Amino acid sequence: MYEPPFWRDREANERLAATECDACGYVSFPERREVCKRCGERGEFRDTRLEERGIVQSYVIQNRLPDAFETPLPVAVMDVPQVGANDGGSDGDDAGSDAGEPARVYGLFTETDPEAMAIGMEAAAVFRELFDVEGLPVGSFKFTVPRGENR
Amino acid sequence: MSSGVSNSSGTRGASGGDIGGREACVIGSGMIDFGELFEQSTDDMAERAYLNAIEDVDSGISPQEIDAAWFGTLDIAGDASSGAGLAHATGLFEIPVTRVENACATGSTAFRSAVEAIEAGSAEVALVLGVEKMRDSAAGLIESAALDQVWRGRGVTMPAFFGMRATRHMHEFDTTEEQVAKVSVKNHANGAKYPHAHYRFECSVEDVVESPTVTYPLNLYDCCPVTDGAAALLVASEELASEYTDDPIHVAGSGLSTDSLLRSEDESLVGFPATTQAASQAYEQASIGPEHVDVAEVHDCFTITELVTYEDLGFCAKGEGGALIDEGVVELDGEKPVNPSGGLLAKGHPIGASGVAQLAEIYEQLRGEAGSVQVDDPEIGLQHNIGIGRNATGSVSCVNVLERR
Ligand SMILES: [Zn+2]
Repeated sequence: MYEPPFWRDREANERLAATECDACGYVSFPERREVCKRCGERGEFRDTRLEERGIVQSYVIQNRLPDAFETPLPVAVMDVPQVGANDGGSDGDDAGSDAGEPARVYGLFTETDPEAMAIGMEAAAVFRELFDVEGLPVGSFKFTVPRGENR
Repeated sequence: MSSGVSNSSGTRGASGGDIGGREACVIGSGMIDFGELFEQSTDDMAERAYLNAIEDVDSGISPQEIDAAWFGTLDIAGDASSGAGLAHATGLFEIPVTRVENACATGSTAFRSAVEAIEAGSAEVALVLGVEKMRDSAAGLIESAALDQVWRGRGVTMPAFFGMRATRHMHEFDTTEEQVAKVSVKNHANGAKYPHAHYRFECSVEDVVESPTVTYPLNLYDCCPVTDGAAALLVASEELASEYTDDPIHVAGSGLSTDSLLRSEDESLVGFPATTQAASQAYEQASIGPEHVDVAEVHDCFTITELVTYEDLGFCAKGEGGALIDEGVVELDGEKPVNPSGGLLAKGHPIGASGVAQLAEIYEQLRGEAGSVQVDDPEIGLQHNIGIGRNATGSVSCVNVLERR
């Protein structure tokens, strides 16, 4: 049994389910809401799914964190493309209307050499247990650059 | 904020926030020396800042003349704060007291709320009191790394939130680590001269870039210290202000806005749209532009925060913050001095008190009472905060403009 927040968000967290605003194209993830947080319209939202990869928009290397984290830990702002889109809107270019915009999220990295981090690079999203709540795992995606595969 | 009177432009007070043409003025300010104040409680600090403000009023003021108060604190120490916290610290019972919490814009939002009440005519003389006891808890803010969040800011501490802008700013605009470090060098040089500052030592660019890395690309001297402190202001209607002082300082404009990194706008990778939005509200009310600001106290929780704030406030174009500091424009003796008090980097950042203290410093500057950090005859001063909200996904900014007339 999940505590309510994790139960509510489980589909988004585990299956990268998102919604796209038909008024402005904004991709809302992981939340499903009635108003768009970019254009403010109470529009129609189309269900969409995100790819298991993302493009680094900016990043830091965390050296000091609570014990729950392994440091040094790269943490990034990631653009995660929708399934079927051409690319993840690297460097913020508006993707074509067919492609749709990526979702912008924070991404924790794992199994990645901090030296490999660079703006514009692509990273794979991999499913991991993030933490547990009273022994029950809460799983979602982290990002990783497979070894020997810089950028 | 401003009324429809004065000024040749005729646009003064054109926007909202201006009710019945009443204006508010600051008539007194009080601060305590910021620092590691283990010997003082939250109430001790708040009481002392309040008494300093009362004693600062040129013609004197009696506590009975204060008819409302705003209390800015995040209550990090868990002192069970509310409006009653202010009343217990000051003895000001039986009047409306509102506790305000708005991330790092807490103190400035408390001030803005008091100003609005005075403009609206629901208060004549108001106290604004900001306080934060940061040092009592050993855990510190690192522990607030959103551990139980999945996508909403897990592992994103404050240096990470601001450091993201540094990495991207350096990538996009070729801003250098040395330019970012110069913010710390400048503010420590100013803080060394400022009597209320927590840290009163100077440092060099080498000291900053060689200090231990906290969160790449930010080093220890890129980060503000953890500091206890309190500050207070007394605000009165323009009509009453002259009874308290011959040199009241007008509140010419105020802005408040929120934004989010997750709105996917690229400006928020290299700055804070909330700052630009709040500044544009404040400039419009004050009928000024950024070029009219003579002195500013801006939010420098980290060096990069101040550098992008130059751009967000319009002191220079986006991407030119590094050049602005290279040219010395923002130095104490420059064309547009920023953070003569040493800023949060040297003075310290007791969150609920920070905005109130910045306003107190601008008040001193505009009255020519800033002593060893006094800048040359300023008429218009700007105060700015930018804070992190909602587990590091949101931002909130407050900008206030004070004017000597
Ligand atoms: Zn929309």
